[in-house]
Amino acid sequence: MIRRISNFISNNRRFIPLSATALLAIIAYGLGAIFFVGMRNPQVFLNLFRNSSYLLISAVGMTLVIISGGIDLSVSGIVVLTTVVSAALLQNNWNPWVVILFVLVMGMSLGAIMGSFIVYLKVQPFIATLAGMWFGRGLSFFISDNAINIDDRTFKIIGQTRILIPGLKELADRQGIPAPYISIPVLVAFLVFLVAFYLAHFTRFGRTIYAIGGNQQSARLMGLPVNRTLLQVYTFNGFCSAMAGLAFALFVSSGHGFYAPGFELDVIASVVIGGTLLSGGSGYVVGTLFGVMVLAISQALIQFIGSLSSWWTKIVIGVLMLSFIGVQALLANRKVGIKALDAQAVRQNRKKFALGFSAVVILVILAILITPKLGLFSPSSTTETQQCEVKPFRKDEAASLIEGGAVIAYHRLAGPNCVDEMYAIYPDGLVLGDNGERQLEKMVTPVDVELLLKTITEDYKWYGNEIRDSYHVPCRQCFAHYVIVAHDDKVKGTTAVDGGVNMPPEYGFTLSVIRPLLPEFNLSP
Amino acid sequence: MMHKKTPLTWRKITENRLFFPLVALFLILLFDFIFIPGFFAIENRDGNLYGSLIDIMRNGSTVSLLAIGMTLVIATGGIDLSVGAVMAISASVAGILMNPSALKSEVFFVTDPTYTFQPLWIVIGVALIVALFCGMWNGFLVAFMKIQPMVATLVLMIAGRGIAQLITNGLRVQITYKPFSYIGQGWIILPFSLYIVVFVLIVTSLLTRKTAFGLFIESVGINFRSSFFSGIKEKNIKFTVYALCGLCAGIAGLVACSNVKTSDANNIGLFNELDAILAVVIGGTSMSGGRFSLVASIVGALVMQAVTQSMYALGVPPFALQAIKAVVVIIVIMLFSEQFKGFVRNLGAKKKEVKP
Repeated sequence: MIRRISNFISNNRRFIPLSATALLAIIAYGLGAIFFVGMRNPQVFLNLFRNSSYLLISAVGMTLVIISGGIDLSVSGIVVLTTVVSAALLQNNWNPWVVILFVLVMGMSLGAIMGSFIVYLKVQPFIATLAGMWFGRGLSFFISDNAINIDDRTFKIIGQTRILIPGLKELADRQGIPAPYISIPVLVAFLVFLVAFYLAHFTRFGRTIYAIGGNQQSARLMGLPVNRTLLQVYTFNGFCSAMAGLAFALFVSSGHGFYAPGFELDVIASVVIGGTLLSGGSGYVVGTLFGVMVLAISQALIQFIGSLSSWWTKIVIGVLMLSFIGVQALLANRKVGIKALDAQAVRQNRKKFALGFSAVVILVILAILITPKLGLFSPSSTTETQQCEVKPFRKDEAASLIEGGAVIAYHRLAGPNCVDEMYAIYPDGLVLGDNGERQLEKMVTPVDVELLLKTITEDYKWYGNEIRDSYHVPCRQCFAHYVIVAHDDKVKGTTAVDGGVNMPPEYGFTLSVIRPLLPEFNLSP
Repeated sequence: MMHKKTPLTWRKITENRLFFPLVALFLILLFDFIFIPGFFAIENRDGNLYGSLIDIMRNGSTVSLLAIGMTLVIATGGIDLSVGAVMAISASVAGILMNPSALKSEVFFVTDPTYTFQPLWIVIGVALIVALFCGMWNGFLVAFMKIQPMVATLVLMIAGRGIAQLITNGLRVQITYKPFSYIGQGWIILPFSLYIVVFVLIVTSLLTRKTAFGLFIESVGINFRSSFFSGIKEKNIKFTVYALCGLCAGIAGLVACSNVKTSDANNIGLFNELDAILAVVIGGTSMSGGRFSLVASIVGALVMQAVTQSMYALGVPPFALQAIKAVVVIIVIMLFSEQFKGFVRNLGAKKKEVKP
């Protein structure tokens, strides 16, 4: 029996990474559903697809590229270029369907251009597509420095149409909860997925891709159309990137060159987690679907846990990738190991592995020993581990301060001591602070205030589009900020949270210049 | 050495590794000379030199530092995508060691230029050791776990920035300590960071050219299996090279964060790994490994920085600059393609035939 199982496993070795990913996705979702009631909501499950539709579209195209032995870093460039171009064209009253066709053709031709660089000029895929990424992002800024809103009717309809799931609707009606739905981009994503699945596993084109990824030279000697196929693969990925860009534009209903930073890394990570080898020639399109799901679920879990900051997502993705790569390396090494390595080499390998492993362990122990000694964690921050209950911003109160003559109103919430402080800065240099218990006053010179306003509005471009709301639930130690600045008859209030990746840099600078002027509440221990 | 006495011919010049990078740099500077008045002006303020050319060298110092480490890695046939993230990690460690009160956020602002939590040598030492460990981690994965370099370093590229944010708790840590800001902003006639680059370059050159280490690197890059059979411990070579690359990235991180006086885990070193790889490629080191030249890589880094600087001088907005950079990169890569190189060499050969 055991023999049969082990035979089965060794015969289907190539499915191990794939099934491991699928299993992980299911277990992660199951654990989430056990611990968080919210996760059991069918809408939350469907939201996983809604929020990652563009990731899936792009990852499917990337899978084919990676199977062919290449890599495409240009996806985020093409995605942002698509969002900006479609937003700009819609602003000029182009027909939305023409716009969609146009950006798809644009994506395909960019893919084809990069492909021909790779195929005919023998430029490394890495370099050629890197140039593609820069080109896409740079061109977006040439078209527009600022975010362009999309308020076209057709785009709105495509983006906001709710597609109800037949079985689930009746179920939801019976339970009396709103019917769960998916959006059109999700359908498109699955369509692209099915097409790629068919292409990769049931056509001559797909088999050629695998052959090229396995060994380009032998594929060429076998008489396979290597150049043409590679060109087609990159063109297809350009198409997928443009499609992902459209889905992304529908998702955020605007276009800007700053969107989706590091998107290509997420795409590559989900392909790798899906079990595709980056060396090419091996992998499954289905695996990518599960890879995307793993990413989406881990993101959702981190959101549900709440106290973890958004950067944990990156660390989790890194660790997941590492473990999957580890599994693959183990599988690959074992195959080679039986044939090539003699016993001594194996022993030596183990010794080195043990050395490396113990080095890592020592490192971790050292880190654990040293960190408290550095004084990073003061008693106040370690003892106070309970999650602060974040109240909503009192925007009305801040607005009334502005109406009362203040030029800057600043509301600060949460943080290590769970504060709720409202500050107001007046043009004559008066600064008021109120933390709910005490009121403080501080006088600075009117020149200081003048200078502060000038810095904020001119250097940090407070009224520019770059300063935008970026509020999400803050992490355990982080502050949530709401700042209103009134200057030159313009008033703008913006929210943000420390620690996330979303806070615009200028917002941070603004906070850092406001803060020295504020009176300090000396918190009694 | 053998050919020292033979006269310099066109062919010899074009075969020199430095020829094409220098030509690229020359073309860009020529463009600046024609289209940007005052680009070559150098100002003397209190005995220190300022000007666009100096700025190219100063702003190019981080990428130059990265390029030195990256050259060694690429010469072994590998690649290190994590250098940008390692820069962020070392910057965060340094920032936290100097200003840990930033984490306690009640005293967010330390404006005292003489305040530091730990002395400078501990700050620099710990930051570099952490960076070295990051490099060793990559080396361990690549050399001993036999994971493809691109994948192995991709892990740290993604996770590293998260780790850096974990260290600083996601905050931008302000660094006001004066001696530290000297690393990136100090001047001794020329910018201080330039001396760091030269120092690292000299040390690495001595290490690779005066010992057999450089030869081993090239032989591993050309064929790691045959170097293994000829008795070179190729795994140790790879491991060392990645560790060195991590160390270089750590130094670059310190220079970068001292330059902006902030250790910002989100933005320090962002996309710098790509700049560094391109600098190495422009320097003529093949991505598939083999022969390398450290000086050529630094010239490559200067080419990239010269493009950036001249576009700034022309008033191109910083973010739109990437598009131009992409076009320049493609042109440079095409100039370097074997077809074009052969064409230039034949050009010289034909001239020589006509001459006598």
